[in-house]
Amino acid sequence: MKPRDLGRFEAIVLPHLDAAYTLARYLTRHEHDAQDVVQDAYLRALKYFDGFRGAEATDGRAWLLTIVRNTAFSWRRRYRQEANAAEFDEQLHSQSVEDVHPDTTLSDASARESLHQAIDRLPAEFREVIVLRELQGLSYKEIGEVTGVPVGTVMSRLSRARSRLQRALVTDQEGR
Amino acid sequence: MTHSELELQVDAYLDGELAAQDARELEAHLKECRDCSHLRDSRLALGTAIRAEVPAFRAPDELRNRVRTALKSSAQVPTSGRPMPRGWLPLALAASLTLVAFGTWQLASARSAGAALGEQVLASHVRSLMPGHLTDVVSSDQHTVKPWFNGKLDFSPPVYDFAGKGYPLIGGRLDYIGDRPVAALVYGRRQHFINVFLWPVSRGSAGRPDATTRQGYHLLHWSTPEFAYWVASDLGLAELDEFARMLRDS
Repeated sequence: MKPRDLGRFEAIVLPHLDAAYTLARYLTRHEHDAQDVVQDAYLRALKYFDGFRGAEATDGRAWLLTIVRNTAFSWRRRYRQEANAAEFDEQLHSQSVEDVHPDTTLSDASARESLHQAIDRLPAEFREVIVLRELQGLSYKEIGEVTGVPVGTVMSRLSRARSRLQRALVTDQEGR
Repeated sequence: MTHSELELQVDAYLDGELAAQDARELEAHLKECRDCSHLRDSRLALGTAIRAEVPAFRAPDELRNRVRTALKSSAQVPTSGRPMPRGWLPLALAASLTLVAFGTWQLASARSAGAALGEQVLASHVRSLMPGHLTDVVSSDQHTVKPWFNGKLDFSPPVYDFAGKGYPLIGGRLDYIGDRPVAALVYGRRQHFINVFLWPVSRGSAGRPDATTRQGYHLLHWSTPEFAYWVASDLGLAELDEFARMLRDS
């Protein structure tokens, strides 16, 4: 890479390290795996940077997160089976939305862990839209770019993911 | 509309992703439908809880260092590319030597804001002299160069050609200085190149140019009420001053 491109890379892609790490952390659910994924993703990003046409730091975020996501998925396929990971059980948590009341006390101290756990238990395609939207504030369009699906799919995944989180929370709190 | 369609609408509405007309219709519906307004309230509570309770992580310093080290070492691997045109070789060589020298100098230099900007301007100037990097749009016509920046920058840089006075406009380029995209205009003077970097300032002043010399390059800096200007070249200071005067009087 030429020095000028490296400078551009540092200005446009490097500032999104925290966002990259957050996404990797939720996708791998493991601190050290997330670090390996991010490092790998940055090397890939450097390799493909020639083809990237954005000029501003804000343009680099969705582009980098796309690479982080794909790296995380191929990495997981290679090194880790998800066999022992407890995925969300649809049957177990099939309460309908109508049962959810707004006065459910989410600010309960117990909420922190259960909400975090509920996100970890979501299937990956739901987990990633929640992280991209709620923690990183991406638009539907950007989320579609990162996850490679149409905006309509982003909308429905996000909505279903939220319903699952709410059901999980209620179930969790009732179980205490 | 089915219940799950309404659910999508409520989510999109709260995310600010619903078209204005749809949003108005949904607001009307929310006033009448208890289920939907319940859903809205619980979604709001969920969003608040996620933001309050679920962390966005900060990359550990260890990772930060690992990424920087990995980038540095992979950037040093020479990219197999087209052979360098012969005439560029001495220039590129000089430029890379300057970069090395600049790197050493950078460590020792005081880091006032102005000095930091000067560093970036000089680095951009040197990079621009490497093969294929001088211009994104090549034209001696100011009416081609100026509109080229449309949609690429959030401002429209003033562009003039001074070919009649021996400083022909060569083209323009996007660059990145001081944490923002800036316009770079390239002028020629015999075998020399002049880079003019400019970007809008909120409170400009009409001061005289500051001149500094670094590694054999001259940097001039001044502001107009609208723009900050930096000019970089290896041209003699007297001629560069003359050029800057034309630019300021335009």
